[in-house]
Amino acid sequence: MRKVAIVAGGATKCGRREASWRDLVQEAGKSMFDSVDNISPRDIEALLVGAAQPERFTFQVHVAPMVAEYLGITPTKVIATTELMCASGQAAIRYAWACVASGMADIALAFGVEKMYMRDMAEAQTNMTCVLDREWDGVNGLSAPPFFAMTAQRHMFEYGTTKEQMAMVSAKNHHYSTMNPIAQFQKEVTVEKVLSSPMVSPPLNLFDCSGITDGAAGVILVPAEDASKYTDTPLHLIGSGQANIGNVVNNLASITEWVPLKLAVEETLRTAKITRDDIDIAELHDCFTISEIMEYEAFGWCEKGGGGAFIEEGEPYIGGKVAANPRGGLLGCGHPLGATAILQAIDVMQQFRGEVPKGRLVKDAEIAVTQNLSGAANVHSIMAYSRSPK
Amino acid sequence: MKKVKSERVKRTEEIKLPQMLDFYPLEDEKNTRISLFFENLKEHRLTTTKCNSCGKLLWPPRIICPDCMSDELEWIDLGSEGELYAFTEMRLGAPLGFAEDVPFCIGIVKISGLSISARIDNAKYEELKIGAKVQLKIVELEDGRVFYRFVPSK
Repeated sequence: MRKVAIVAGGATKCGRREASWRDLVQEAGKSMFDSVDNISPRDIEALLVGAAQPERFTFQVHVAPMVAEYLGITPTKVIATTELMCASGQAAIRYAWACVASGMADIALAFGVEKMYMRDMAEAQTNMTCVLDREWDGVNGLSAPPFFAMTAQRHMFEYGTTKEQMAMVSAKNHHYSTMNPIAQFQKEVTVEKVLSSPMVSPPLNLFDCSGITDGAAGVILVPAEDASKYTDTPLHLIGSGQANIGNVVNNLASITEWVPLKLAVEETLRTAKITRDDIDIAELHDCFTISEIMEYEAFGWCEKGGGGAFIEEGEPYIGGKVAANPRGGLLGCGHPLGATAILQAIDVMQQFRGEVPKGRLVKDAEIAVTQNLSGAANVHSIMAYSRSPK
Repeated sequence: MKKVKSERVKRTEEIKLPQMLDFYPLEDEKNTRISLFFENLKEHRLTTTKCNSCGKLLWPPRIICPDCMSDELEWIDLGSEGELYAFTEMRLGAPLGFAEDVPFCIGIVKISGLSISARIDNAKYEELKIGAKVQLKIVELEDGRVFYRFVPSK
């Protein structure tokens, strides 16, 4: 297997965009190709497009060839869309990585795009309610907020986690996103503001939830030994993990402990040959505030049930035990499903290059992970990155 | 150059909810091999399949056992009383077809060793408690299809 590195990345501004799905693709593609001198669209041999629900949000399937057409790419080795709901972009990166590592392709593009704002937002909510098994869970109104609300309720019940601790996650990530020019949300959010925001699905208030977001992003992967042809500062892919247990609520390993995440963490640490304490930056999947709290626990930075205290003690801030979501997270940046993991990877590359504003720069960071959950947190996907080749 | 014509054309703006945007399953024997589940519901019985070969209790009902690949499954009754493991209330962001019901409660109900999600009717979020007993309720859609919900036990 060859070692692989990301040598270029580009993205759109995220948010409620006055732009079509096709516009988002072109904006991100131009941003990405403009950022690297000697790779042109015709050089891309493998194209993987992370797109969660284009058929529902924009009434379009077979989208990978559309991305290729709009960006002037003519894939000669691999082309496909990757769907894994909220982790669709992470799936694209993993497949692109496998393509390059195996020698199937020498230059691969992992692209991600989602246009989520619709004329009728009830239709968008409908799309989000067929993520869990529609006939057995979705039919009961179980979209993401009610599912994660019950997760939060049980975590509070079993471990004494508080609404204030959950709100601190939102405040932290919104603070960092004020320093991210492409983030959807650019304003500070206080704990009080989270607690007084409208109730979506108790105990989750509006600012406990990530937004509905339009956005697109892409990263180019090449064999690490070729990386210096394109950049002095590549982002090295050093390991990865992914695990799934069950799908409908009855068949989850646990509501309050994300067993597949623990498995994916172990696999990531093993393949990257690092320990959890080596991780300087963690771009975590904070689709809801409770998610990030449970992720501190599953990564093993604190004991089970200690996630609330972990943020109360300031540990997931820059300068603490691990810098969690210095990009601004999904809570601050928005969550354009297929694009999210790509946006995380680009921000890690910019962190290592020292290109992010000082207030959210993790100085001398060497190792980062990006993590995504999907569905009822029954699937977890992680990629580990380093500044230096390993 | 010839003059370019402009014409307003008609199209239906109001479209009936297509079948694939209906959350409820197709229940009859022409559309599913677990139609007996819904036939049983019509008789006020909540049932599921159990594997005759390895004994695994399966939810949702199946036609094969994922643990041992046997297709020798039997239907068993789950009873009509469960216990609330968790619950919430849909207040914002309801999907199409549910908007008129808002706010409504949703729970995870422990029943006969299973944990199943379900609507909790006749309930307000503030009045529910973890561990509270809930009773099976059958709802019938206008087209005759049925589904299960729960209500707080008296």
